Order: sequence, then structure tokens, then C-alpha cells
Amino acid sequence: MAEASVFSTSGEDAITRTLDVHEEGPSNHSERDLLAYYEIGRTVDEIVKGGYKRVALQFPDELLHDSVPIYRLLRAKLGAAAQSTELYVLADTSYGSCCVDEVAAQHVDADAMVHYGHACMSQTSRLPVIYVFGRKDIDTDECVRQISECLSAAERQHETILLKVDVAYAHAADRIVSELRSSLSARTRLEFKSLPLKVEPERADSVQKPAADETGDAVSQTHYDAVLYVGGESLALTNLLMTHASAEVYSYDPSTSTARVESVKTNKLLMRRYAIVQRARDADVFGILVGTLGVASYLPLISHIRMALKRAQKKSYTISVGKLNPAKLANFLEIECFVIVACPENSVVEAKEFLRPIVTPYELEIALQSEPEWTGKYVLDFKEILSSSQQQKQQDVQSGEDGTEPEDTDQPIFSLVTGKYRHAKRYGGPDTTTSPTDSSSPSSALTLRNQDTALSVLSDSASAQFLQNRTFRGLETRLGEDAPSVLEQGRSGIARGYGDDHRPV
Amino acid sequence: MDKPTNIRNMSVIAHVDHGKSTLTDSLVSKAGIIASNKAGDMRFTDTRDDEKERGITIKSTAISMYFQVDKDDVSSIKQKTDGNEFLINLIDSPGHVDFSSEVTAALRVTDGALVVVDCVEGVCVQTETVLRQALTERIKPVVVINKVDRALLELQVTKEDLFQSFARTIESVNVIISTYHDEALGDVQIYPDKGTVAFGSGLHGWAFTLRQFANRYSKKFGVDKEKMMAKLWGDNFFNPATRKWSSKSNDADGKPLERAFNMFVLDPIFKIFDAVMNFKKDAIDPMLEKLDVKLTQEERALEGKALLKVVMRKFLPAGDSLLEMIVINLPSPATAQRYRVETLYEGPMDDESAIGIRNCDPAGPLVLYISKMVPTSDKGRFYAFGRIFSGTVRAGPKIRIQGPNYIPGKKDDLFVKSVQRTVLMMGRYVEPIEDCPAGNIIGLVGIDQFLLKSGTLTSSETAHNMKVMRFSVSPVVQVAVEVKNAADLPKLVEGLKRLSKSDPCVQAWISESGEHIVAGAGELHLEICLKDLEEDHAGVPLKKSPPVVPYRETVKTESSIVALSKSQNKHNRLYVKAMPIEEELSLAIEAGKVNSRDDYKIRARQLADDFGWDVTDARKIWCFGPDTTGPNLLVDVTKGVQYLNEIKDSCVAAFQWATKEGVCAEENMRGVRINILDVTLHTDAIHRGGGQIIPTCRRACYAACLLATPGLQEPVYLVEIQCPENAIGGIYSVLNKRRGQVFSEEQRPGTPMFTVKAYLPVMESFGFNGELRAATSGQAFPQMILDHWELMAGTPTEKGSKIEELVRNVRIRKGLKPDIPALDTYYDKL
Repeated sequence: MAEASVFSTSGEDAITRTLDVHEEGPSNHSERDLLAYYEIGRTVDEIVKGGYKRVALQFPDELLHDSVPIYRLLRAKLGAAAQSTELYVLADTSYGSCCVDEVAAQHVDADAMVHYGHACMSQTSRLPVIYVFGRKDIDTDECVRQISECLSAAERQHETILLKVDVAYAHAADRIVSELRSSLSARTRLEFKSLPLKVEPERADSVQKPAADETGDAVSQTHYDAVLYVGGESLALTNLLMTHASAEVYSYDPSTSTARVESVKTNKLLMRRYAIVQRARDADVFGILVGTLGVASYLPLISHIRMALKRAQKKSYTISVGKLNPAKLANFLEIECFVIVACPENSVVEAKEFLRPIVTPYELEIALQSEPEWTGKYVLDFKEILSSSQQQKQQDVQSGEDGTEPEDTDQPIFSLVTGKYRHAKRYGGPDTTTSPTDSSSPSSALTLRNQDTALSVLSDSASAQFLQNRTFRGLETRLGEDAPSVLEQGRSGIARGYGDDHRPV
Repeated sequence: MDKPTNIRNMSVIAHVDHGKSTLTDSLVSKAGIIASNKAGDMRFTDTRDDEKERGITIKSTAISMYFQVDKDDVSSIKQKTDGNEFLINLIDSPGHVDFSSEVTAALRVTDGALVVVDCVEGVCVQTETVLRQALTERIKPVVVINKVDRALLELQVTKEDLFQSFARTIESVNVIISTYHDEALGDVQIYPDKGTVAFGSGLHGWAFTLRQFANRYSKKFGVDKEKMMAKLWGDNFFNPATRKWSSKSNDADGKPLERAFNMFVLDPIFKIFDAVMNFKKDAIDPMLEKLDVKLTQEERALEGKALLKVVMRKFLPAGDSLLEMIVINLPSPATAQRYRVETLYEGPMDDESAIGIRNCDPAGPLVLYISKMVPTSDKGRFYAFGRIFSGTVRAGPKIRIQGPNYIPGKKDDLFVKSVQRTVLMMGRYVEPIEDCPAGNIIGLVGIDQFLLKSGTLTSSETAHNMKVMRFSVSPVVQVAVEVKNAADLPKLVEGLKRLSKSDPCVQAWISESGEHIVAGAGELHLEICLKDLEEDHAGVPLKKSPPVVPYRETVKTESSIVALSKSQNKHNRLYVKAMPIEEELSLAIEAGKVNSRDDYKIRARQLADDFGWDVTDARKIWCFGPDTTGPNLLVDVTKGVQYLNEIKDSCVAAFQWATKEGVCAEENMRGVRINILDVTLHTDAIHRGGGQIIPTCRRACYAACLLATPGLQEPVYLVEIQCPENAIGGIYSVLNKRRGQVFSEEQRPGTPMFTVKAYLPVMESFGFNGELRAATSGQAFPQMILDHWELMAGTPTEKGSKIEELVRNVRIRKGLKPDIPALDTYYDKL
């Protein structure tokens, strides 16, 4: 294949390319370890109990190497039921591997899923899911001792403490809780909600009306003085820090057996997000990134965001690009800010490498408010966002038009990003029902070309306006403007390596 | 007010502590707004409490006055006038360099300037700065040499010495004027014998021009007034024996003659001073009689300085002589707008707005420039303060409000709104007024929410903007502010907005790391701004970080090898080199002389002629950056690359991004030229879209900079320190400690005062004032003004160097990884 290398590689490197995968799972692969680590017995029991016929096993990249042994073990343990039960291995999830990839499971028409590895525990909407987190080793005595030490070193007495445990240590959670309770003073209340190992899909009707107890739960959450987290550094910890900014967060990392206060980082993180929110305030054209197809109520949330943007007279586009990377998003130059709808762990995107800021739905809500509010409260849960905005709407209805609203709508906004006034573009009239142009709204997103092949712009289209600003607007027939050029020898080869390519200088 | 020929719009400008506000008092008292005996102590135009406390002016203040000239003097006015009644709109401006932006805003709306120079200290750095600004705005100066009483009482100079000192000061002012000479303005040098220089004492409330004395003597000698004035200055000597004039200092017998100025002008003044201060009671009365000065009974009982003040004020009232000088010598709007229109208006010189401005036509289309915002008593609201250049403004009709980013024919930064009320600004009061025609300075109510700092108001749909003001200072000192309790955050944001409105120069924004940054011209400026923010605009307690200084990233050499970056799909390759831009060009871009909006052919010519660029290269400048106007250039030097025009937009976007956040410390870049040498693009358009090109181009720029010996520039102040000789040692030791470089040390002739000039990095200037005062026991007063960006020694890529340490600290402050990214994060192998 020597000659092939001029134009292309033999394809060899695609096979030999090493992926940056950090292997996890038990260190040795003996059958007993696997059985225990992946809770094969429990999984089988659940499958048999549920009477599932087609089960999809979803693996993250770092556990994929164990998929075959697990499959074999499951088959073996299923025994008699194995004849009627089909198992499928799913890999390379479309979004984050912490989410349950229901769409992939539907490809094989599965009626249940087993999710392996780290999970974000987002509510699913279609399939029952059996979670297998993997049982990582933890020295509970050491953990309790370290955490108690940390707590006693704290300046003030904590009244209520919330314990959160990384899913991989969930198996030891009960022991930690009971030991901690005994070591803490009586005045301190320790709360812990154990993680479910099997989740049924949410009923359709409960999606429609956000349950009252859910919101009640959310409210009570804010009262914690301190949060304990058992687990290594991860996105889950980051999210915990953001959502419990008012509480002190202590973390214990079982792999290094150290406990420490994490709250110091919180402020910086939140301030960074605050800066991004300010940039979102300055944007007129938004892209709604669909970052999940599994998390329950993602559809109502997307339509809610669309409505909110429309009310604020911003333009929105809905885009699904799978896993994010700068190259994908930079293709949408006209979009000034992205809103990502994804599971909590994938929502907070550090957008340093991205051209445009990426905000979460909650941040968008803040950005669209006329008064900038930043109390340090941070919400990542979809339902909470939906219900709180619904409450707000009700309040708005109740308060009616107080006459406070009719401020001059064209008033420029003071942009904190540039320190200047910004004249916001407005897409869609304030009352969309009355304006006749909006009834035919799909067509208004187009730009017409008139006979002179010049562009005639429809004022309401963001992309058409953007096109106007570009220097290159696609091929133009410049008849009679250019002198005919001499035919030249073109380039040879293919894109991977052209014949006239440069050698390093 | 309705007669543009009889309006004078003028600002009072000078170095700090040369007595602008005090002198303004004399003028104000003439208009009857304050009692004449209070003038000089009251500082009517210092309206803020902190101005009164510190004894410096912080905000410029406008005041309108009515003045009547002697019928006889009307003939001396060399421009068209209508009657002998005049309206004078005066703006008192701050003198401290940190507030120069206020001066700029004041100059824009005036046509003439009263330059105040301390007769002891002479022309100082700020005198020069403001004078230069005035001349570039085509504003005609007249000079008043102030604090003559000090020369007489404290320094006890002789008449001839005083004359020489006056002459020197006038000479140095004229040197500056001729340096910034502008053809269109004509000869604006100042001549005492033409009445464009006054001498006086603001504190005592007296001043004169040669005109007053010429008036007195012309009758006595029976000569023409103008001729008399000419005789009273320069090498003109009067021989009392022969009653003949001579231009030699000796008479025929070789006896020394007394200079006419000394004999006729200074002599009476010296005599009064001598008589009053030495309590020669009996000598005073005949003298007063001779000078036609009448005192009341109580005034007669006064003694010493108090008496001196009264006598001098009656003898040579400052208000009269100065206002007369202003009215006679400064141009009316009708005169000035004829030649100022070119420097004021951006649009073509033959459209209706330009014609309206040129003719100062009250019936023309409205063109009004708002130069600053003045806080009202109503919290959070502002008067839009500006000058009507054409048309008439009144409450009611809808007018177009064009912000600084307005482009004719587009809708950005344009609002159509009506003015609620129009007011005259009268120092601490306002006076409602029905309508106001062209040529006047005015305050508008009800449009403040549409303009941040400045803007153009017009009734003509075709009108372009008035040119934006260029400030001589830039905000180089930053602090981060934080609210003490989170619930106050909205108040802080609102406060920052108000702060940005209320000061022409201050900037407020939010950094990447979420900090609220306030940037000002200097420590004092920032201190005042933060105090305002905390106590007034936001009204909440704040936490402030120590001041930090912005840096600029640049390169020192051409990239050692061609930097290559591949797109994510590996199908597109960019070959790029970075090289430094010569400092002159960077400055020209920053000053707007080389502009991204110029026609590319004209710009290419200019670059080739003035900066030695290759014309073909210069024509292929893709963009300026950051913010499409900054002093970095992206140049296409490729040959015959297919589809290149397709990726231009992507590269421009990437370049803006890269120059805004440089590779070393994510500071702005400055003086970097990026050459795109060659490009390989995928043949399918979808594979060479923005998504592939933007990140690649950014990485290529970074790689090129890392390969071109990156450097850092820091802002450097020019420091001017006035001090007595014994304090110089202290100054040197303080400057040495702070990396300061003295480049000039001069004694001011005729005084024991020295002027030391030095460069001092802004970084090192925090607390400089205090330390200097301590080291010189309070005898040295520095004035610091941003002079240039200085390339720092060394390169951040060198491990362990001082500059690497600095970059590291900046990166940590910004919450980045402390190390500068390695080259291979951006540089790809083929």
C-alpha cells in the first residue's frame, strides 16, 4: 500500500489510534470480582422479575472492555430465561455516557435497559432502567473519621447536613450514614436520600403538571448548612457546589482517603457563570442545543425555552449536534449564544474553547429577566426550572398589568460585557398574534432574491441579516465583470493530502 | 441667544491649581450671580462636596452669562456682530490630568478657550495637553496669566523681571500653538499688544489686558487705541524727557529708559501694592483719586491685603477685562462653525446638515452634539449636555438620537424620541427655557436613557454622526469591585451603568472570571469614581480589589518558522507568520489616522508612503483587531489560493478572538501583524466551513505569536513634578525605587522651582503620590499622564524570567492555568 500513502493513509491509524480512555472497573478480571462488582445477580433478578424480553446493556467507553464478560455472565445466570431474553450491548452514546440512551435502546426495540457505570440519575421518560454503578472499594471507617474531623474543624455548628454519595460508593452509603449519625452531635440532622437502583419511566401525566411535592422538596433543599460528598473530583461534585452555593461543601475522596472543604472554589465557578450569563444578556440570536433525548421533560423544557425567547423577542434556532465540540458549534456563526438542554452533569460547559457562550436553561431565565439577579442560587433540574417559571407566570397573571411594565421597549440595554449601551435587535413583533407577517412565519426566515440577483432582506430574519454582513455570500455570477482566465492545471490528490502540499518549512 | 453672532462659547482650561475656578468666580460675579466680594473664595463652579473638600475641580461645569460691551469697543470686534449685548456660555473644566476627559468634552461644545497660566509655575504638562486638544478641535485660545499677586507679594520681583517672566510664558504658549498649527484656524498665536493676553489675580479678583491701559492713555496721549496697545508691549520705550517713543532701551545720552509696559502698566500696580502693603495710608488716597477709584466708608477702614483686594478690584475688575477680551477676541459660533464643520462632522460637507452647521442656521435641520451627561437631582437621571450646531431644539417634536455606533441608513444605535424639556445649565442651577437655537450650549431632559456618554441628535434623516471625541487619557488603572452582600448585585449593575454615564472616560465591564471591573485614568480618578459608585450611583457597600494594570501582548521578531495549524477534520491547513508592527503605525491606528473604515486603496497608499509597506500587502489587509479597530493586522499574502474569499469571514472572526485574548496572558494584543502565507482548503464547502476554520485560524495565530518571541507592553506615565531644589534628591530616590526614568530636569527661570520629568510605569505608580510627599516633606506635586506603551524586557516564554512570573500572576488572577500553553497545543505537524 505504498502508493496509497501519497493520497491517503491505509486506514491503519484509525485502528491503532489510541483513545484517551481511562479504564475503570475492577483491577483483576476474575469471575467472582465481576460478579460482585457489576452486581450480576441483582441484575438478573430484576430482569426476571420484570419479565423483560429485550434488554439493552449500556456501557460507557471506560467500561466497554468488560462488556463481553458481563454479557456472558448474564446469559449464564439467566439460565432458563435466557432462551426468551435477548441482550444487546450499546456503546458510543450520542450524548453523555452518564445519561440513559433510550433512543439507542429503541433501535433494538428494547423494553428495559441496564445502565453501567457512572450515572447522572436523570429521570427517564420511556424505559425502565436498572442501574449498575459498580461497587468501588471504600474504607468507611476512615471516611467517617475524616469527615467528622473536617466538620469539627468548621467555624460554626452545622444544623442540617446533606450527604451525597458518588454512585460508585452507593453500596456503602448506608453504613456511612449510620456511622456518621452516631459520631455527630445530637443537634445535627443528617439527611440522606438513597439512590434508586431501578427506575421506572415517569408517567406521561406527571410530566404535564410538575408535582407539588417535587417543588416542596426543592425548597427544603436550600436549607442545608453543609453538604458532604463522598467521591472523587467529578462533574457531579462541581454541580453540587454550584447548586448548594450557600452551604459549605466537604468532600471525601476514597481513592486518596482525604477530606477537604470545597466551597472555596464555588465562588469562582459561580462568578465565571455569572460572566457568561452577562454575555447571554447581550445576545439576540440563540441556539437551543439538544443535548439529551433521555432526560424526562426535555421536550416541554425546549418548548418552554422557545416561548421564553420569543417573548423576549429573541430569535431562536433548535440544533442537535450530539456531543459538543468547538468545530461543530462554530459552524453556526450567526448564533450569538447557545442554550444547552442536557442532563445536569453535561449542562455546565466551560466554554473557553468555544466561540460563543453556552448557558444552561436556568441561566437563560436569569439572562432574560430585565433586572439582573444573581443570588448565588443555581438550578440545574429541569422540573424545578419549569415549575418555578410557571409559578412566576401565575404571579404575573395575578399581579396583572400594574403599569410597571410599559417601559419604553426600545430603550438600549447597558451591556456589562462591553461597558457600553447595546441596541438589542428584536425579532418578531411584541404581539405576534396580530401581526399578519408572523402567521406565515416559516417563510419569513427566508431571504428572497429578486431579479437582479441582489438580496432583498426580510427584516425579521437573523440569518439573512448575518448574511448581509458577510463578505462572501456564496457564488455570484459576476457576468462581464471578470476577465476570462487562462485554464490552469488544478490540484491533484484528495483532501487528506494533495499533490502540491507543503512540506514543513 | 437668538443672535449667533453675539454668543461666545468658551471653556476655561489650565493645569491643575493654576486658578481656573477662582478666576471663573470673577466672571460669574460680573454677571451678578454671586456677590463680587465673595468672588475668588467661593468657587461657584465647584458644585460637589468632594470638590470643595479637596479644592480641585472634578467635573466641568457650565454657566451662561449676559454681558454688555462698551459701545466704543464694539468696533474692535473683528467679526460680524449685532449690537453690544452678548451671551457668554462658559465651562469651567478640571485641571488635574486624571480628569482630562472632562476637558475634552467641554472643548467640543465651545469655540474658544481661556487658557489660565500660573505666572510663577509657567506652562506645565497639562497646559500643553489641553492647549493641544483645543487646537486640534480648532478652538481659539486666549491666555490669562494668573496669580500675578503672588509674584508681587511673595517673590518681590522687579518690574523688568516680571515683564521678562510674562514674555517667557507667552513665548512658551506660542511655541505650543505653532507646533499644533492648523491652517484653517489662521494665526492663533497670542499677543498682549493685540489684547489676547490678560494679566491678573483670580484670588484678588483683578485682571487687565493692555486694552484697559490703552483706553486710559490713548486719551491722555491723543493716540489711537490700537496704536497705543502696540506701544505698551515689547521693546518700546518712552522717554519722558523728550516725550518720544523709542525702540531702544537707552536714550540718546545712553541713559537707560524704562520699558513702556513697565512704566505705564506695571508702575501703577506696583505703586498700589507698595502703598497698601506697607501701610502708606497717605499715599493711597491721591493715588486712588488719580486712578478714579472710589471706596466706600467701610472699605476705607480696611488694611493690608483686604484693602489691596478692594482697591485692585475697583481699579482693574477682572470680570470686565476678561469678558471683554473674550467677547472681542474669541469667535462667535457663526464664525467658528464655518471652519470647525470639517473637524466636527463625519458626513459629506455638502449635505443639508453640514450646510446647517457651517452657517449656524437656526432654521436648518437640527444637529446637536451631546458631549456629556450631567447628573440631575433626580437619582439615576441625567441632563444630556451638548451644543446645538444647527437648527433649533425644543421640547416635543420627535428627533433622531444617534449613538456612536450609528451608521447612516442602518437602524443600529438609532432612536427616534422627543425631548421632554430643554434647560440652560447655570452651574449648580438649571434654568428652564422654551427653545434654543443653533450656537448655544444646552441641557436636555428625557433622552438620557438612550445615550451612554455622548451622541448626535438630529432631525435630518440623512445626517451622519458628529465625530466622536478622542480623549488624551485612557483608562489604564483597573479595580475589581464586589458587593458585600449578594442581594445588592442589581444595584451594583445599575450603579455601574450610571457611573459610566456620568464620566466621559470611565469604563465598567465584567471580566471573563465574573468580576466587575471599573477602569479609570489614574488613581485619583478611580478613587473619585469608586466613591461616587459606592455612595451615590449604587448606594451599597462595596469590596474593592487592589488596582491592577492591563498589559498588551505583542511580538518582538518575525516567527522563526511558519506556523501551521490543521483544522479538526485535518483537511484544512493554515500557514501563518507573525511579525511586529512598527510603533508609529500602532499609534496611528490607535489615533484613528489609519482607520479600518477607510477606503482600502487610500489606506494602502498611506501605509506605503508613511510606513514603508508594500502596496500589494497593504491592499490585502483583511481586518484590524481586536474589535475590528485595534492595532493588529491580519494580512493575506497568499498567492492563488482557491476558495480563499470563502474563509475570510471565518478568519476575521478568529482574528478578533485571538487579538482580544492573546496567547500569553489573555490580554489584548498590540502591534502584531499576522501574515497568512498559504492555505490548503478542502474542496467541499461543507468541510471548510466556519466550524473548521475559526478554531484553526485562532490556533495558527497563537502558534505564530509563540514562535515570534512574544513580548509584553506595559503602560507608562509621563510624570511631571514641580518642586524646590532641595526636594530633588527625594524625588530621585522614590523614582529609582519604582523603575522611574528621569529624562529632563529644568529650573524654571526666575524661580527656585525645578521641573522634573520622568517616565514611570503605571504599575509602579500606585501610592507614588503619598511616597513622594513623604520623601520630599510635601514639597513635590506630581502630575501623571499616560504617555505610551513600553515594551518590557525579556519574553514570557523564557522560564524563570521576571516577565514570566508576571504573566503567571495575571493568568492566576484570571483563573487560568498558570503556565503559558506550550507551542504544540497550537502548532501542528504536517
